[in-house]
Amino acid sequence: MTLDGVEPLAMDFGGGSSLDGRERALALLLLSMADDEFVIGFSDSEWTGIGPILEEDVAISSLAQDELGHAQALYGLFVDLVADGRDVDAVAYDRPPEGSFHARLLDHPRGDWAQTIARRWIYETADAARLAALAETSHAPLRELVAKLRREERYHLLHMDAWLERLAEGGEGPRGRLVAALELLGPDAGTVLAPLPGETALLRHGILAEPWSAIEARWRAETSTKLIGLGLEALPATRDPETARTAHSDAFRALHEEFTLVRRSEAGATW
Amino acid sequence: MSDAPAPVGILEPWEVFRQEKDGDPMRHGGSVMAPDATLALHYAREMYSRRQESVHLWVVRRADIHDLADPDLLQPPLDRSFKKPGGYVMREKLAAARQLSGEAKPRAKAK
Repeated sequence: MTLDGVEPLAMDFGGGSSLDGRERALALLLLSMADDEFVIGFSDSEWTGIGPILEEDVAISSLAQDELGHAQALYGLFVDLVADGRDVDAVAYDRPPEGSFHARLLDHPRGDWAQTIARRWIYETADAARLAALAETSHAPLRELVAKLRREERYHLLHMDAWLERLAEGGEGPRGRLVAALELLGPDAGTVLAPLPGETALLRHGILAEPWSAIEARWRAETSTKLIGLGLEALPATRDPETARTAHSDAFRALHEEFTLVRRSEAGATW
Repeated sequence: MSDAPAPVGILEPWEVFRQEKDGDPMRHGGSVMAPDATLALHYAREMYSRRQESVHLWVVRRADIHDLADPDLLQPPLDRSFKKPGGYVMREKLAAARQLSGEAKPRAKAK
């Protein structure tokens, strides 16, 4: 993946950065995970109050809240590592939209319920594969956090599997919407696991257990089994993996505008 | 109340039972609407344990509960106090017997 000038915006390392190659690679990994969780968490929180039924409204809102909590913890590790004077809120809210480092899958808006389920099912399965490859990571704070995240993400995956099955088997209407959503999101599905800059350093220093290509291959095998079992098509190859986490959509710019609105309304205020 | 399974995707009420800590009985917590047992458990988790207030949950389709609320069967009108575990009130009979025999009431035992 090329960074196209995103790294300075995302990282704000400046000229005097004292981070070495291992630390820069680790910082980008933490930021990519934190931004993924933050964006999907914020985006899915739009269902609060308008969920399909009251129980699911609570469930999806709770999932969204979990992801914001995960993002906060991951930003915390990033802040500790980079130690450039920014706090968690500054990293989360004060970057321009082009400096966000989330996967292009999450550039798609929540859409209808089927699109939300398809997007989140793809994301949860990919995130589970990523977390599995980090279970024994050499960065101790991340190892401890990943163990906690995996326990919470288990339920997320169960809930998304349940919904994927019900939409796929729910008759023409729900199935048609699900198929349309998977077709729309499919080419961007693999962006969550697209190789990050610094992959060599991540592997050499035991931060990541195996190359992104191996993680992606395992994820593709698992998702294909599930989708084909439901009579659906396997996810297609990733479109433009070079820009998997850059060149964000207008939908994301609108989301960014919204989630930074309060923060921007009074710069430097204590909330 | 029917034994036939509900049609797919139709919401119905499920009763939720929860155990607060190991060793406690399962107590009725409330209910959720769900189309099937899997989602009923997911929703029960959200409603009755999202803040770690349960260690064990059951969900039961309300339609699977057999109901009895007939007052003739549950609250019979005649005196049934002799069936209660407290048994008869003996105080007056004992007092009369003691008076007859001239025996004093035993003092409460020292602890």
